[in-house]
Amino acid sequence: MRSSSYSALPARTLRAAVVLALAAGAVTVAPAAHAGSTAPTLAAKPYMGWSSWSMQSSKYPGLNPDGDYSYLTEANVTKQTDALAAKLKKYGYDYVNIDAGWWRDTTWKPEYDQYGRQKADPGRFPSGMKAVADRIHAKGLKAGIYLPAGLEKEAYGDGKTPIWNADGCTTADIVYGDLRTTNGWDSSYKLDFSRPCTQKYIDSQAQLIAGWGYDFLKLDGVGPGSGKSGDQYDNVADVTAWNKAIAATGRPIHLELSWSLDIGHAADWKKYSNGWRIDTDVECYCNTLVSWENSVDDRWDDTPGWTRYAGPGGWNDLDSLDVGNGEMDGLTKAERQSYATLWAIAKSPLFTGDDLTRLDSYGLSLLTNKEVIALNQGATPPARPITPSDPQQVWAAKNPDGSYTVALFNLADSPAAVSASWASLGFTGTGSVRDLWNHENLGSLKDKVTEALPAHGSRLFTVTPHGSALAFTGYEAESPANTLAGNASVADCSACSGGKKVGNLYLGGKLTVNDVVVPKSGTYQVKIAYVSGDARSAAVSVNGGGATNHKFPSTGDWGTVETVSVPLTLKAGSNTITFDSGTSYAPDIDRIDVPKSS
Amino acid sequence: MNTDPARLLPRRDLLAATAATATGAALAALPAFTASAAPERPANAPRITSSSHDELWWQAPADDNSMIEQGLPVGNGRLGALASNDPGHEVLLVTDATMWTGGLNDTLDADGQFPYDRDHFGSLTLLARLTVDIPDHDLGAVSRYRRTLDLARGVVTTSYVRSGVTYQRQLFASRPDDVIVLHLTQSGTGRYTGTVTLEGTHGEGAGVSFGAAFANGLEYGAAVTAHGTGGRVTVSGSHISFAGCKDLTVVVSGGTNYAPDAAQGYRDPSLDPRRLARSKVTDAAAHSADTLLRTHVTDHHALFGQFGLSLGTSTAQQRSLDTWERLRARARDGAPDPELEAAYVQFGRYLMISGSRGSLPLGLQGLWLDGNDPDWMGDYHTDINIQMNYWMADRAALSACFDALTDYCVAQVPSWTDLTRRLFNDPRNRYRNSRGKNAGWTLAISTNPYGGGGWWWHPAGNAWLCNSLWEHYEFTRSRAHLEKIYPLLKGACEFWEARLLTTTLPGGSKEVLIADSDWSPEQGPRDAKGITYAQELVWALFGNYCVASAELKRDGGYAETISGLRKKLYLPQVSPKTGWLEEWMSPDNLGETTHRHLSPLVGLFPGDRIRPDGSTPSEVVDGATTLLTARGMNSFGWANAWRSLCWARLKNADNAYQLIVTNLRPSVNGGNGTAPNLFDIYETRPGRGIFQIDANFGTPAAVTEMLLYSRPGHLELLPALPDAWAASGSLTGAPARGGFVVDLRWQNGRPTEARIRSVGGRTTTVAFGGSSRTVTVAPGGSVTIKDFAR
Repeated sequence: MRSSSYSALPARTLRAAVVLALAAGAVTVAPAAHAGSTAPTLAAKPYMGWSSWSMQSSKYPGLNPDGDYSYLTEANVTKQTDALAAKLKKYGYDYVNIDAGWWRDTTWKPEYDQYGRQKADPGRFPSGMKAVADRIHAKGLKAGIYLPAGLEKEAYGDGKTPIWNADGCTTADIVYGDLRTTNGWDSSYKLDFSRPCTQKYIDSQAQLIAGWGYDFLKLDGVGPGSGKSGDQYDNVADVTAWNKAIAATGRPIHLELSWSLDIGHAADWKKYSNGWRIDTDVECYCNTLVSWENSVDDRWDDTPGWTRYAGPGGWNDLDSLDVGNGEMDGLTKAERQSYATLWAIAKSPLFTGDDLTRLDSYGLSLLTNKEVIALNQGATPPARPITPSDPQQVWAAKNPDGSYTVALFNLADSPAAVSASWASLGFTGTGSVRDLWNHENLGSLKDKVTEALPAHGSRLFTVTPHGSALAFTGYEAESPANTLAGNASVADCSACSGGKKVGNLYLGGKLTVNDVVVPKSGTYQVKIAYVSGDARSAAVSVNGGGATNHKFPSTGDWGTVETVSVPLTLKAGSNTITFDSGTSYAPDIDRIDVPKSS
Repeated sequence: MNTDPARLLPRRDLLAATAATATGAALAALPAFTASAAPERPANAPRITSSSHDELWWQAPADDNSMIEQGLPVGNGRLGALASNDPGHEVLLVTDATMWTGGLNDTLDADGQFPYDRDHFGSLTLLARLTVDIPDHDLGAVSRYRRTLDLARGVVTTSYVRSGVTYQRQLFASRPDDVIVLHLTQSGTGRYTGTVTLEGTHGEGAGVSFGAAFANGLEYGAAVTAHGTGGRVTVSGSHISFAGCKDLTVVVSGGTNYAPDAAQGYRDPSLDPRRLARSKVTDAAAHSADTLLRTHVTDHHALFGQFGLSLGTSTAQQRSLDTWERLRARARDGAPDPELEAAYVQFGRYLMISGSRGSLPLGLQGLWLDGNDPDWMGDYHTDINIQMNYWMADRAALSACFDALTDYCVAQVPSWTDLTRRLFNDPRNRYRNSRGKNAGWTLAISTNPYGGGGWWWHPAGNAWLCNSLWEHYEFTRSRAHLEKIYPLLKGACEFWEARLLTTTLPGGSKEVLIADSDWSPEQGPRDAKGITYAQELVWALFGNYCVASAELKRDGGYAETISGLRKKLYLPQVSPKTGWLEEWMSPDNLGETTHRHLSPLVGLFPGDRIRPDGSTPSEVVDGATTLLTARGMNSFGWANAWRSLCWARLKNADNAYQLIVTNLRPSVNGGNGTAPNLFDIYETRPGRGIFQIDANFGTPAAVTEMLLYSRPGHLELLPALPDAWAASGSLTGAPARGGFVVDLRWQNGRPTEARIRSVGGRTTTVAFGGSSRTVTVAPGGSVTIKDFAR
């Protein structure tokens, strides 16, 4: 479980080579961490551990007695470290990550060393940050620390603060002359990497945390993202500099980026970091750690566009997994299981923000389910939706061994039955179903698995097909046999089959695929290949009958095709299938594939 | 003119006098919750099985937040529950039909109308909450979940698999044993461990029994007991704990000390509800769950089995879907699903058997609430809703369930009479009798079970209720029923005799009688004289009264007076401006074109003054049709059901059917339509849907009315048979006005066989299409007709 099964993947090899080349160009010491291996040693699997932020950010009674975010103290980190080591380490949880505020006192006043680098607040961390890391390491765990992007305003010191190990450089030499701000809170001056001193500052920070022995850095407020866009908030150069600086330290330090990173820069994040927060904070900043609506449930919509970027070396970070104590988490049992299910199948890092000294038995069972952890940490690819993002939805991935990971979700506010049809997975006949959460085999089932899910509930299965591959008949959207209405038009699309798609499906734009022939009446799982840079809905109808509105998950950009299956009741013989944008904007349609049997 | 001798008596005597004339039946009626004789046990009764057509099924349970849309209803006519059927957390929201706050409510507001609140007027409210927690059976840990509602047997069954063991539980509300039973079993090595908790919902806390009283003095109580085999069942604190049980039986009962007797202040002071509930559950628990089940099923099926309906055959594809999927497919695919449509009718019958026997009648939500404060108090709305609730009862062979409405009216009328005498002519009441006279009784738009009214006065409400009671007589020809309702009819006639105004129509010299200032429900001017709604209802009331008087050979002189008034009643004209039958005595449309109420069409349905058979002037039929068309085809539950019934009367099968289909569309996010549990949902604003049970009865009534029209002396077969049901079908045990019961089969849109049984009727014409014949049957006998020509 702990060794990567991805050692032979060429894309990964390429990435490692790029890192090596960059590192070699920047420093004289080659990064030992990457030497002699084609697989990344950092983030070969989604990392697992604990983070301080959920408890810091919560108004749960008693957590932050000395003001907002005051939970973060040496004593509390030590306590959580011990609990992690005792309860969760054996399941793979090994990072203890100190989040924001370690250099700020309880009034949020910062401390810096003489080189403008963050310095432990003696109130919070009387022994200093190195001692904390040592304490974590002594438990066989890894230590994580946190910094915001840019030069914090308070560290500027009239521009005269010298930069460590950089002759003559001062803080005035690393920022823009107009002191433009950056990051998600505008709390820093933007660094000007066209100036030679600037990399030195990042180097100095990297050397500092490496010297303390940290294994992980969360760089926060990074843009484009963190609620910001535009050149001023473009921190790709910062991330690049951090990548270089970390390599130069010779210490393998996992670099994690936060928050709501711009998917348009996914390639940059993938190139220079080990993980990126795809979304806003999961925390609710309320009386519990999180809440379902604010904002655990956002992830079902926001993750699919990112799925293809996840892989060894860099993962889609869905944020803290706060499922360990129902009362503190502010979630039902069903919501906690769904939360853990999505994180596991999306191959998100699994770091909890719970109070590890107060895990309840259900929370412990969620965090320590070996089958679910194996799915997250193993060679299986991340799952993505195979149905539209409707309240009842199915996510799946085809695994290297031929089985499928299948998750059922009911995001509605009341219980509902949810089915995963084998046809939507691409096979027909029977499949044997393993229930991962319950460690039970549910037997060999014909055609589909249907389960009753509570409100906001889930099920997680491994399905092993015993039937045969399903045959499909394809119909290109751009076929001249089809009918376009309103603004709908055929457009080029290099990723699409046939090189074309039907787009401009908005405000009444409509595509009708004509003459869809099936041998007998029944419900068919029709695959819809589509392109949609954001989640969009279309009303799908058959033969002019009642339409069902489906939300198509984002494909991440306008050049990528994804596929979901929709159950359609077709009659024997010729049918029409219509995609209607109605009063809104619908995805572009590449093609549909209709099973040859229902 | 005042013909009521009682008017001279002091109030107390008046009450006594009215109660006496309202027959001993009211006082002899059982209180709602009472000790009863040991039930008859059906020793050797054949096992009753039901057809899959009478089963609804689902693949997911309800939860605490979705009970009104997803909870499954059970009830014994008085005691009801909505059940979640959640394996790990079974919840029953328990109600008693008499669990009402409020009282007589006889201090009018400044506008002369009634307070309408939960304290003075009152509200139906929950009795108790029963939960059975089985932690190891959390929904997330079980597979193959399924629950079914067997309409024919009156049983909800839940099954699922946990760790290879199949668990099953049955839930039913028994009228013979007056308890709700939850029986949990399993197929092998499974065991049940958990807790049973009974809690009051008004702060009483948890306990194996509890008793308390409302501010209005109503005492109530409930009790639970449980027993199992193979493990231990113990009372621990306020809960019942069970551990390692192979099976478990939970029995719950409860009720109030309500009594349907105005003279006793609607209380039975001798009744201790908590003690009675305890003895009921103890008595029932002395019998095996199988015995209780058999007793219940025999009782339930005795009513359910009296009516059969087939509207055709559904496809295998349709049959493979669960009830909720099937509703969605029906709406999406547009293909008729005749078995689903018939099951919807049977579901309405199930609700009536479960909700209207031996206690108060069905109000806006029947017995099924998801909280203490139902919208509109869960009360009795007398300007369509309670009437609609009972349109189906006789038409679908549940005449016995109608009695709850009759008994309610009989028990309330002393108070209604008292309130009318004391308060109706209050000078602040804009609807008072402007001539200053006052007699008989009327009521408010909302009524409670304590004789009290809520919201506004509703002068014509008395006539509508009386007409409903009369129609039951037409179906059943029950002399006892006629005796019971006669005083109500007479009191209503007296009210109208005092109220009607004489006027001369413009441009003529003919004197007519018109109703005093009123509001056509629930729109337009509030001071309109001669509204069609009142004119039609009073016209029918007067006619019914005269027949009643003749049949009972009573008050002949007074009947002549009423007959004379009836001849002078103004009847609505067709507006030369709109072409509509006028709602007000005005050619102008003074309200909303597509208003939900069809008040001006009350003479089309449920009345039948307006008949498309040549006996009504064609311009009146045309005016009614034009108005109905203008009202539109897309309203919500009860409004669609009423429209459908009107279209059925006009023999427009397509429109009648379309409105039924519209009511069957799935309710999503509180939208208008049918919830997963088949309750009808009325969207009051986006995202907020309210359960109103009337459409669950009105829609089935429309189905029956499309298949069989009747009035005394005349039956018409398949008057509005839609194409969707035309291929083949049958209706069996369908009562007809005039005292007949009809069994009807059809094929290709035409009757193949009709059997007319007499339950008191003798001669009737039987029509189909353009042809008609007269048949004569002796009471108890029957004739069968086969040769139907077009």
